[in-house]
Parts: sequence; C-alpha cells; structure tokens
Amino acid sequence: MAATGEGGGKEELKTHFITREGTYRLMPLSEYSKPTRVPYNGQTNTPVKVSFIDVDDGSGSPDRICFNVGRELYFYVYKGVRKAADLTKPIDKRVYKGTFPTCHDFNEMLISSESVRLLVGFTAGQVQLIDPIKKELSKLFNEERLIDKTKVTCIKWIPGSTNQFLVSHVSGRMYVYSEELPCGPTSPHYQPFKEGDCFAVYTCKARSTRNPLYRWVIGSGAINEFAFSPCAKYLAIVGQDGYLRVFNYDSMDLLGSMKSYFGGLLCVCWSPDGKYIVTGGEDDLVTVWSFHEKRVICRGQGHKSWVSAVAFDPYTTTLETCDSTVEEESVKKTENKNGSNNTVLANGIYPHSNPNTHDTRKPTQVVNSSSANSVITCYRFGSIGHDTMLCLWDLTEDIIKLPCGRLRSSVVASNPTPAYSSNTIPRCNSGNTKTNSVVNDVSVIDGHAYAIGNSTVSTTNKFATLSLGDRRENSEKKEHKRNFSLVSRSSDKSQTLKVSTLRPQPDNAMKLLGTHSCPRLTEAPLLEPLVCKKISVDRLTSLVFREECLVTACQEGLVYTWARPGYVGLTQQHTVVSENL
Amino acid sequence: MNNFTNSLKFCYKMGNNPTQLEREIGSVQLPANEHYFGLVNFGNTCYCNSVLQALYFCRPFREKVLQYKHQQKNQKKETLLSCLADLFYNIATQKKKVGTLAPKRFITRLRKECELFDNFMQQDAHEFLNYLLNRVAELLQAEKQGNKTKNGDNNSQTKPEPTWVEELFQGTFTNETRCLNCETVSSKDEDFLDLSVDVEQNTSITHCLRGFSCTETLCAEHKYYCEVCCSKQEAQKRMRVKKLPQILALHLKRFKYTEQLKRFTKLSYRVVFPLELRLFNTSDDAYNPDRMYDLVAVVVHIGSSLNRGHYISIVKSEDIWILFDDDIVDKIEASSMEDFFGLSSDIQKNSETGYILFYQSRE
Repeated sequence: MAATGEGGGKEELKTHFITREGTYRLMPLSEYSKPTRVPYNGQTNTPVKVSFIDVDDGSGSPDRICFNVGRELYFYVYKGVRKAADLTKPIDKRVYKGTFPTCHDFNEMLISSESVRLLVGFTAGQVQLIDPIKKELSKLFNEERLIDKTKVTCIKWIPGSTNQFLVSHVSGRMYVYSEELPCGPTSPHYQPFKEGDCFAVYTCKARSTRNPLYRWVIGSGAINEFAFSPCAKYLAIVGQDGYLRVFNYDSMDLLGSMKSYFGGLLCVCWSPDGKYIVTGGEDDLVTVWSFHEKRVICRGQGHKSWVSAVAFDPYTTTLETCDSTVEEESVKKTENKNGSNNTVLANGIYPHSNPNTHDTRKPTQVVNSSSANSVITCYRFGSIGHDTMLCLWDLTEDIIKLPCGRLRSSVVASNPTPAYSSNTIPRCNSGNTKTNSVVNDVSVIDGHAYAIGNSTVSTTNKFATLSLGDRRENSEKKEHKRNFSLVSRSSDKSQTLKVSTLRPQPDNAMKLLGTHSCPRLTEAPLLEPLVCKKISVDRLTSLVFREECLVTACQEGLVYTWARPGYVGLTQQHTVVSENL
Repeated sequence: MNNFTNSLKFCYKMGNNPTQLEREIGSVQLPANEHYFGLVNFGNTCYCNSVLQALYFCRPFREKVLQYKHQQKNQKKETLLSCLADLFYNIATQKKKVGTLAPKRFITRLRKECELFDNFMQQDAHEFLNYLLNRVAELLQAEKQGNKTKNGDNNSQTKPEPTWVEELFQGTFTNETRCLNCETVSSKDEDFLDLSVDVEQNTSITHCLRGFSCTETLCAEHKYYCEVCCSKQEAQKRMRVKKLPQILALHLKRFKYTEQLKRFTKLSYRVVFPLELRLFNTSDDAYNPDRMYDLVAVVVHIGSSLNRGHYISIVKSEDIWILFDDDIVDKIEASSMEDFFGLSSDIQKNSETGYILFYQSRE
C-alpha cells in the first residue's frame, strides 16, 4: 500500500519492473508489516530480516514468514501472491526489552504444522531458540553474555543438523552451539584446535561438554554474514575486513579467499550449483567469485550506496545441454569436490505454463546437476542496498568463460542476447528439459539424504575427538601461546592481542590488488544491472527469491511481495476474491 | 572489557571526563606515545577545535607541524603556523595520556589574522580548514622565499615549489572538454586541497564522488569556445582525478542556500562512508589510480543549520576510535560510525552528520 500511497517522496517509487521474462509487479495487498502498518522509525539500526518456512500443513497456505522490526519479532501465515495478508492475527509476536532481534533461522529438519524451531540472534549477543507455533519452547544461549558480548550478525542451523547451529558476531568470532548443551556459569576457556592464514579455531575446555563447541576467530573486524554451500560442505564468510573466505566446514580448511575492491563485505550468497559466490559490500559493488577457479569473475556496478543483501534466483536460470568438453570437465570437477552437488535447479526447470499446478511442488526438490546433461549458462541474481534500490543481474556464459587475467576495460552490458531468451527458464517449455527434471527428481532425493547422513556422522566424530584428545591438545596449546607472545608486543592482555596477530597486514591487502583475489577495476569485467529500481523510502535490508515472487524488506519494517510474470493475473483474481470475503 | 560494548550514545551522554576515560580504557589498551587532549571551547570555537583534532590525527600532517616546531625553535615572530606548532607540541609532550588543553594563543592569533573568525559566532568548519591550510602553505612559501633571497638566488619567475601542505593535501583533477563539433578533447589540470562534493539522499560518498565526475554537457548560453573551431560550440565536460593526494579531504556540501529563507539549510541526507576507500573517478592517465585510503578523521556537524549547531570530531588512533567533543574525550566503536551517516527521512532537520572526511593513503 505504502508504495502507491500518498506520501510525498513515495510517488517516484516503482511498483513494477520489466525483465526479459515479463513484468514483476508489487502486490500491495501482500504487504507484511507490523499489524498497525505504521512505518517503524528506529530507535535501533538493526536491519529487518525475513525468514520463510514451509510447514506443509495441507492447507492452501503452508508458508510462514518471520521478520524482525526494531524490538519486535513477527510470525505470520504467508499467503504469497495468492491472498491478501491478514495482519490482524500474527501467529506469534514477541517484544523484547533491552536487546533487539537481529537475525533468525528456521530449522529445516524439524518441521510440522504444530511445531517449528526458530533461532533468533540479538544485539547484545544472546541467542534464543523458540517455537512460534507451540510457544512453550524458549531456550537462551549466551544469556549472561559470557561467551560474546557483541551483536549477533548472522545465525544459521548447520545444514542437516537438528541441534547444532552457528552464530557470528561483531567481535569477528563465530561459535558452534549445540542446543542440547548448557552454556555454563563461567566464561569459557579455549584451547587452539586449528590455525591457518588469518583464522583460528578453538574448542571450549571444560570438565563436562558445554557450549560453545567451537569458537572460530576470523580475520579482523566484524563477521557480517556467512552462508553454507548448497551441498552443505562449504562455508562462505564475509567480514568488515573486506574478505570473503571459504572453508571446508568439517575439516576447517581455508579453501579460498577474495578481497573487496575496498571496504567491508556485507553479504554473501552461493549460486544454486555451488560454483559461484556473489558478495555485496561497501564499495557499492557486487562481486562474483568462482569457487572452482578461485578468482573474481566480474563486478557489478549499479548501486548508489552499500549493498546490503545479495541472492541468486534459482528459478530464473538458463540451462543448456552440455556438449563442449570444457563444460563436462567443469561438471566433473564439481562432482569430485562435492559428491552430492545438489542444487535447487529443478525449480527452474519446471514449465510454468500452468502456475496453478505449482501448489503441490515443493521448493526443496533438487536436481543432481552432475547427472543431468545440462549446465547453467546464465545465472540470475539480485541485490539490494542502502540506496533503496533493487538491482537484477544476469551472469552470462560469455562473462563466465572469459579467460583469467584478461584485461578488459570496456563495460560489458549484461543484457542478454535473444539466443538466450529462448532457453530461459521458467518460461521455457522445451520437452527436453522437462524429461530431465523428471528423471532427476529421483536421484536428487537420494543424494540429498546421503548428504545429510554424511554431515551428521562427521560432526559426531569431531565431538568424540574433542573430549578424548583433551590432554594432548593441552601441550599443543602451550606452544601456541609461546608463539603468540613472540608476535604480540605486550603479552599481558590475552584475548584482544591474540586477535591482532590474526589481523591481515594492510600490506597483504595492498599486494592482493591486481591478483585474482582483487583485480584492478580494469582487469575484471564490469557488469551493468539488468534492472535497477528505487523501490523503497528507507534502505533495503532483505531479499528472498521464491517460486512465484520475490520478497524485499526495508528498514521501516515493510515486507513487499513482487509477483513474478505469469503470477500477476492470477493474483489479482484471488485478491479480489479475498477482498470480497 | 566493558567499554567495548558501550555504545557511543551512552558514553557521550554520560559526558565522561578524561580521567574516567583513562581509567575505563586502561592505559594498556591506549597506544603508546599517543595523547588525547580535549580542547576548551572559547565561545563557539568548536568549528576550530574539531578541525584541529582531525588534523592532529592526520599523522603525516602532525609530524610535519612538529618538525616545523623543532626547526623554528628561536623564532620570535608569532604566526598562525607557530601557534599551531606550539599547540601540537603542547599536546604531544604532555605527561598524561588524556586531559584538556586551552588553545588560547591559537584562537587569539586566528581572530587577529582573519576578520571572518574575529567574533563569537559559529563558523563553517570547512571554511576554517580551507583558511588554515592555505595560510600555513603561504607562511611556508614566504619563509622559503625569504631564505632564497638571503641566499641571493631570487628566481621569482619560476613556479613556487610545493610546501609540505601541498605535498600532503594537494591532488590534481583534470578538466576534460570535448568539443561536440570537431571532437577535439582539451584538458586543463587544476589543483585542489580538498574536494567538495554534492550530497544526495541514501547514497555513499563513493557515489557522491562519482557524481562529481559526471559528464556535463555545455550548451545554450554555456557553450564552450573551441580553439580548433574558433567558435562557440556545444561540448561535453567532465572532471576526473589525475593525481590522488596523500591525504584526501572530502567536504560534503550539506548546507544549501535557500533563497526564500535567506539562509543556509542543512541537508541531513544519509550518506554512508566506508573505513576503506578507493576512487572510481580517476582519469586514464592517473599516476596512482588505485591508491587505497583509510578513514582517519571525521568532522561531524550536529544541528539543523550552518550557524546553529555544534561540531565534534572522530579520529582514528592506531586501531581505536576516539571522539572529541571540545574538552570531552571518549572512546567509541568503529561500528557506531553509522550514527553519523545522516537520516533517511527528510522530515527531521536536526542531525549528527559526517561533514568533512579525512582519508589517508595507505602506502
């Protein structure tokens, strides 16, 4: 409502935009906010984040939406583009005092129509586990702030786990918790577990196992966001020091890194096939990094301010039957690196000629891309920023295939050639891809289950070594300490100085310029956005691509739903009906 | 460790006195050999105090001023530069790490030297910075000339050698004009000591700098006289940075003169600025186009208009950030910088906003 509303500056706000797939339209009746629809004028700067969960309750509206606004946290039935939002009856609403929610994540493993498990991170460092449906569950972690006193910046369940989760803080540390363990009455004592270039992992030394299980110290400055790869094996972390770092989560090995052109990196997202990572940051740029080639593929310039969220759109992705050897190799590589390289591509493959049939399709269905003969040739991703703008980008084959290190000074427009548009999903109805997706549905489910089993095993393994190898690690720890005291100037202050030894030398960041980790401006293609629209009054904070729509949220606490082309007409009918009701 | 979590607002309102700050931070965590001295306000002299603190924490500038102090030990004549050198020397040689000083001689001298500042009114901090840098450069130039005439090799014809003020702050932008008739590009270089950029709502300083280099078409009454065509022609003009200064001082043009009100009103737009900066608007022949800058100081304007309000400064000292509010000194977190970006809504005019940014080159 607000976007088309009366307010002075609001007239210039866009309510629709056109891409090659068609027109995306803002659904005014599908706007979510506080029940009063009063814009929030912050006492806090905590960004409004949105989480979705599908509770599969057999009703027409199985989706639930959670978002935080200031001191409040809301949990509603999300009716998508089909029906108008009913803001009068949130399923759950929480108001916090003294500390504000900053981020949240639903557990994907334990879901039913009667119960979901939601983790919430807070400005003062605490973490709460709640069930917004059952409501009786409430567990607090780091309640006394003995583990970390700084703001929680990102929180995620470890993929496939029902009890372990990862929390990052402004302090530059991340902690692995188990919801079944206590946090202990004292500050934890740590001992080194693993060390590497600009990072260190510690375990918590205690008589009985307690939280946190691990502490990761990464780079210098705040960790702003992290994301697990679609295969759940890898962890991408972006921070205020301007670095993207990618780890093998289980082995805790640093596999690659990238540096922003300048300033902190604020957000990160994996491509659906796990090949690329896109970041956004304080250089006003989006940067695409190839995980396999360990290099910056391109940068995108379109925002007028910092980029606060990036997301790949798995539903708008172009597939092509794999024929060239180069592509086959790259697929094989993927296979080797991550045995179950599952992606959500399947959703893109479904023909969208009849959107009504989509109710039964679950967005969790996945395709094993390695068994399919198709590879992605064009990736779609979106970004939003402090400039109140939404940008959409196409990462096309010609950009991806540019040889490394080749100098390009010209601006490459990302507007696709007509050749691509014929292959474009979801508008594509080719029989070939359709069969592929059907075949793959089976193998996918297999692969998915396999991946889950795998990660559970490895985490429990680690757990065992942890408690058994206590003594030997003790002696190791002493050696480490000596090393630390040699580097640091004054050895008396423990925690802060240890971090400072992890600080990447500014010289290092300077030396990176001109390398694959941070090419000069002229050394990497510079994309222009496909779409760049001002859609909000206040800065944008959250972006989610869904099958039938994309969802954006802004600092004022307004959550907008933008219907994808093909879903607009349908919605209008339905909204009329729901209005009449 | 408690102080790490205190938000700026909290500290600021508490109005901690310096000794409290010292006790709270604990001398261990304060960088060695650094001194944090608040400056007493002599009646609306916060515009001056905030700029002085920012310049003191531009390390290369401070070092040059202290060097000057050592070289000019027996100088009898009082100048604005000698007063500045005395003040910096006074801060740098304090026994205590944290305290308060009264920059009385400097203010008196300033009021004596410049009519504009000879009153008790609030002044524009940027205007003061400009005046100070130019005055210091003039004084240094005059001293150089004086030495040269003494030595007898008076070559007044040649372009004056740059002083250390120019070495630190001076950059060059190149003004490229392309005649749309004959396509000839002519370029003219101009030096700057700081860049004044227009501000827009919900943008970044990076965007504002790019706006500074936007291509502008000269047409109608603004036509350009092309020397090749020998006539007035339509032309395209853009300004790009050719030589990047060691210290990049950016002035956000937040005060707009409104004809109706007959006064300057403040643009409280939210303009974000990162701790690390590179420039996008460099010319093709720039000597060091990808220079990396670190934010070292920010002069913040608090209030609703140019002549009403208050200035404070935030400076970086090694890895910690210190806030100077006249005689009050406080430690703040880098993350609370966002409190000084400005406001997203245009309704409120009263704001605490970054006004002058000092970025120092990394190498």
